[in-house]
Amino acid sequence: MIQSILLWVLAMLLAPFFSAVILKVKAFFGGKKGPPLLINYYTLAKLFKKGSVYSTSTTFIFKLGPMISLGAAVTVLLFLPFAGQPPVFSFRGDLLFILYLLGLGRFFTIAAAMDTASPFEGMGAAREAYFPIICEATLFMILILFYVLTGELSLAAYFSGTQPFGMWQMAGSPMLFVVIAFFIILLAENSRVPVDDPATHLELTMIHEVMVLDHSGPDLGFIELGSFCKLFFYASIVARLIIPFESGYMALDLCLFAASLLIVYMAVGVMESVMARYRMDRVPKFLLTSFALAFFATVITLEFLK
Amino acid sequence: MNIPVDLTLSLVLLSVLFSFGSSRLPGLIKVIAFQGVVVSIVPLIIGHDMTAGGILFTLATLMIRGIVIPFCIYFAIKKVAIRREVEPIVGYHASVLAGLGLIVAAMVVSHRFNAPSISASVLLLPTAIALLVAGMFLLMARRNAIAMVLGYIMMENGIYLVGTTFSVRALHIVEFGILLDVLAGVMIMAVILQNIKQTFDDVDTALLRTLKE
Repeated sequence: MIQSILLWVLAMLLAPFFSAVILKVKAFFGGKKGPPLLINYYTLAKLFKKGSVYSTSTTFIFKLGPMISLGAAVTVLLFLPFAGQPPVFSFRGDLLFILYLLGLGRFFTIAAAMDTASPFEGMGAAREAYFPIICEATLFMILILFYVLTGELSLAAYFSGTQPFGMWQMAGSPMLFVVIAFFIILLAENSRVPVDDPATHLELTMIHEVMVLDHSGPDLGFIELGSFCKLFFYASIVARLIIPFESGYMALDLCLFAASLLIVYMAVGVMESVMARYRMDRVPKFLLTSFALAFFATVITLEFLK
Repeated sequence: MNIPVDLTLSLVLLSVLFSFGSSRLPGLIKVIAFQGVVVSIVPLIIGHDMTAGGILFTLATLMIRGIVIPFCIYFAIKKVAIRREVEPIVGYHASVLAGLGLIVAAMVVSHRFNAPSISASVLLLPTAIALLVAGMFLLMARRNAIAMVLGYIMMENGIYLVGTTFSVRALHIVEFGILLDVLAGVMIMAVILQNIKQTFDDVDTALLRTLKE
């Protein structure tokens, strides 16, 4: 239990570091030196030192938004089997709890954005509300597949110990499609490039960034930290899926896990460097591809298992 | 479970979904070329006893299916400067969902057949059926003449897979005959396309209804 809590704290501490890897990869592709790998810690420290400015037109919901979105992301990490070790909490059906916890965080981000009554933020909120609908369909399809494969309904049962490797052995090639589908979900849910550009400076084309325009100081810090944690959560699931091996020695497992996480974050960075953001009406098609892949994997696996 | 064959066949099924979702002709041609290559290597890895002649025929099919036909079509659209949009009657999202539906239907239907060599791979017959129906779908749901031709080629890929399922011995000769027909068809199509283009300044097949003597 102590070990799990320590790993949970480690996950929170490491999340900003890994997000900086993406920036470094993008800078490498741009032929630049890029910001230091600890840039996100500096940014967070800077933001937490500042004071907050609140518009007079906002209500308490605006102040609640960042806290709840950070709280949801951090709570979700409690359920994450870090490097295949048992998580802090785990119960039957905790996957649904996790999905809706993330949904709750999103809801309050959207509500806070609407609370400012800025038309730009309303637009971003509408997009943020629309795209995850398709993502959710994909996630539930993957959930069904995993349930068919393992007969379990908790995240720990899927990703701890040797279980991921077992799923690869049972399902074979369809797992490849699941990994791709999950990677697309990762990009969409964390507003990465083909769906949303985190580095854009035009409000009309933003999704996530435009919703947090009015937040400042510690609030913005909470939001940033929350999004790092969320990205870490999705990335570690993909990482466990792409490198499902288990050595039995904890130190070695941690190194392997860190290496696979680095691969996932670098893949995100490469995606961001080689692709442009999709036009807004193309995004649903991109997300639908992930749903098609997940559905397809499920159908084929059911056929194999017969 | 035969892993290489299953992997290949799931790639074929995936190419069906991608062909339904692709909106541009060059992209669609690439998908079909990929599908042609993957479909033609299935007999090589499925574990039939292959004679030297059989391997030669299979490689020749691979060449025609994966290289000659796609290049013919590609140069045809280059030459007549056709619009790149496939002009769908059924939208892309609906097409992808329909593709998923027909894959499921093919899986269900294939259990009704008691095909002899179904033991080679559980996916073989479903993939063949899915390809046949998907080709038909592309024929119906796209108005661009080239997209229709590509749908026809996809149906041909499906027939080839059905052939792999049912017969082993006579397969290559018969298949080769069919393939030559298709090749001739593609050549003729290139010529006809040019004529359609000259007459209507477009290759939208809906315009053919206005033809009068």
